[in-house]
Amino acid sequence: MKCSKRVEIFEQVKARNEKFLLSVLWKLTGDRELFTEAMQYALLGMWQHVEKLNGKKAQSYIYRIALSANSKAWRNRVGRDGEIAPSQIRIEKDPSQKTSDSELVTIVRRAVSQLPTKQAKAIVMRYFQQQPYQTIAENLSCTEAGARSHVSKALATLKSKLVTLA
Amino acid sequence: MNRESIEEILKNIGSEDVPAEVHKIAQEVSGDFSKTLTQSRQPEHIVLGDYIMKSRIAKLAVAAAIILVVLAGLPFLSHKESGVALADVLERVEQARAFMYKMKMTMTGSMLSGMPARKQEMQGAIIISREYGMKMEMDMTDPNTGKKMTQQMYVVPDQKIAVSVMPEMKKYMRMEFDDDLVTRMKKQNNDPREMIKQIMNCKYTDLGRSSIDGVEVEGFHTTDPAMLGGAGENIKYTLWVDAKSWLPVRAEMDFKMGEQMQASGVIYDYQWDIVVTASDFEPTIPEDYTPISSEAIKMPSMSEEAAIEGLKYFVELCGQYPKKLDMISLMQEFVAIQKNKEPMDTGLKSRSEKPDEMKLQERLKKTMEIMRPVQSLSMFYMTLVQDKKEPVYYGESVGPGDGDKVLLRWKVSEGEYRVIFGNLTTADVTAEKLAELEKLQPK
Repeated sequence: MKCSKRVEIFEQVKARNEKFLLSVLWKLTGDRELFTEAMQYALLGMWQHVEKLNGKKAQSYIYRIALSANSKAWRNRVGRDGEIAPSQIRIEKDPSQKTSDSELVTIVRRAVSQLPTKQAKAIVMRYFQQQPYQTIAENLSCTEAGARSHVSKALATLKSKLVTLA
Repeated sequence: MNRESIEEILKNIGSEDVPAEVHKIAQEVSGDFSKTLTQSRQPEHIVLGDYIMKSRIAKLAVAAAIILVVLAGLPFLSHKESGVALADVLERVEQARAFMYKMKMTMTGSMLSGMPARKQEMQGAIIISREYGMKMEMDMTDPNTGKKMTQQMYVVPDQKIAVSVMPEMKKYMRMEFDDDLVTRMKKQNNDPREMIKQIMNCKYTDLGRSSIDGVEVEGFHTTDPAMLGGAGENIKYTLWVDAKSWLPVRAEMDFKMGEQMQASGVIYDYQWDIVVTASDFEPTIPEDYTPISSEAIKMPSMSEEAAIEGLKYFVELCGQYPKKLDMISLMQEFVAIQKNKEPMDTGLKSRSEKPDEMKLQERLKKTMEIMRPVQSLSMFYMTLVQDKKEPVYYGESVGPGDGDKVLLRWKVSEGEYRVIFGNLTTADVTAEKLAELEKLQPK
C-alpha cells in the first residue's frame, strides 16, 4: 500500500476511534502520564496494523490495540522487581493501615492491565462501557454464555490478583 | 476483597467522566502523531522511531523494554510471535565466518574551524573475517581537484596492528593499538556485529515491517547519542534486517559532527558467508612504497589515566580545559586555540611551503604526538558515553583553578560515581555526595 494512502486510512481510522480510545484508556489508566503513554502506544499500534482496521473485525482489533497499549504502559510503570515505585503510586505498606479508596482503584486498574486479553476485553465492555452480554459475545466471537463466563473468570482472576497486589 | 466490591469499583470507574485536561492531552498526542506522519519524508520507515523518541515517558519505556529484552533475549515489543529480535540478529551475524558489505558516506561542512566548508564523499567495501581480521578499501574524491584517493586499511587483531596503504601517494602507515581500540575501530567501520551490539544498548524502537528491493525487512531505529559514543549529535540510525534470515540488509545513518559538519551514510549490499583465505587479509605493500613513519605509530590509549594526561596536556598548551569532549569539537577547539598562538612546527601550521619528504614525515609524526593525548581524552569520553556511564563534563564552567569543583564525572555502579576534579585529582563518591558537589558548581 502506498504510504500516502496508508496515512489517509490511518487518519480515517483514528477519527473513528479517538473518542473510544480516550474514554477506554482513561478508564484503564486513571493517570495522566499513564494515559499519555498508553495513547501513544495505541496510535502506534493503529499505524502498524492500519490495514486490519478497515475490515469487519476492525472493532475487535481496536480493543486489542487499546488493551495491549494499556498493558505496555502499566508494564513500563511497574519496576523491574514487579513493584510500583512508592513515589509513583502510594501503596501503604503497613497491613494494619487501611488502603484508601483511590489506591484501591489504582490497584484494580493495574490488575485489569494484567488480565488475559479476552478477560480484559470482557471487563472493559461490561463495566467500562456498560455493553450488554450479546454485544460482548459478538466481539469475542462466542456465545452469550461464553461472554458471561469470561466476565466471571475475569472477576475471579482480579480477586486473586488483588490479594497479592493490595 | 469480595467479588461485589470489585464489581462496585469497576462500575465506578466505568461511570467516571474523562477530565477536560485529558481530552486536551489526547488531542495533543494525536495531533503530534499525525504531524510526525505528514512531516516525515519516509513516514513508513522513520516515523515510529522519531515519534516515540519525542516523548520523555516513551523514552523511558523504550529503555526499560530494551533492558528487559537484552537480559531475557526475548523478541522486542509487540512482535513476539513473528518479529525479529536484535539479539537473534546478532547471533545470526556472529555465525557468519566472513562477510562483506559496501558503505557510502557523505560529509558536508567544515572539518576544522577556519577551513572552508566542503562536501566529502567516500565509498568503499569492507570484508570481515572472524579468523583473519578486516580489510577495507575506501575511495575518496577530493572536492577541489576531483582527484580520487584510495586508502586500503588492513586490521589484523591477532597482531594488534593496522596497516594503511595509500596507492596514489605510494605510501603506507603501520599503527599499533590495544584491544579496546580494535573494538572501536570495528565500530568506526560499521562492522554490523558492533553496530548491532551498540543499538541493543541504546534506546531503540522497532519500526515494524517494510520492504527493500523486494525483501521483507524489519527496522530498528535509534536516535540515542550513545549509538556513536557521543561522537555525533542529532543521530538517526536505522538498521533494516531481513525478516526471514534475520541478517542485516541495510543501515542508514545521519548525524551532526561538531558544530559545522553533517554526515550521512548508508551501508548496503551485505554478502554473508563468503569464502576468504588468510592471504586476503595480509597487507599488500608494493616494493616501491615507502612508510610515512619509520616507526609504527602508537594509537591513543583510552584509559582514565590517559584522559587525565590529555586534560593536563590541553591546559599546558591552551591554558584552559576543553569546552567539550567529543572528538570533533575537541579537535576543532584545540586547532582554533593553536592557530591563535605562536605557530608550532607541526602539521597544523601553514601549508604554504611544500615540504620535502623528510619534513612531511617529521610533521606527521609530530602531529600524531601532539594529538595523541588529546585524542585519548576524547576516546575515553567516548567509551563512557558508549558504555552508558552517564558522563557529565563541566569544561565550560570549570577551569584549572577550580580545584574542588567537578570537571568530569561518570557512574561506576549504582549510587557510586567517579569524579575528576578541576585540579585533576580523582575520587569515588556516593550519589548524595555528588549531588552536594554539583550544587556548588560555578554557573
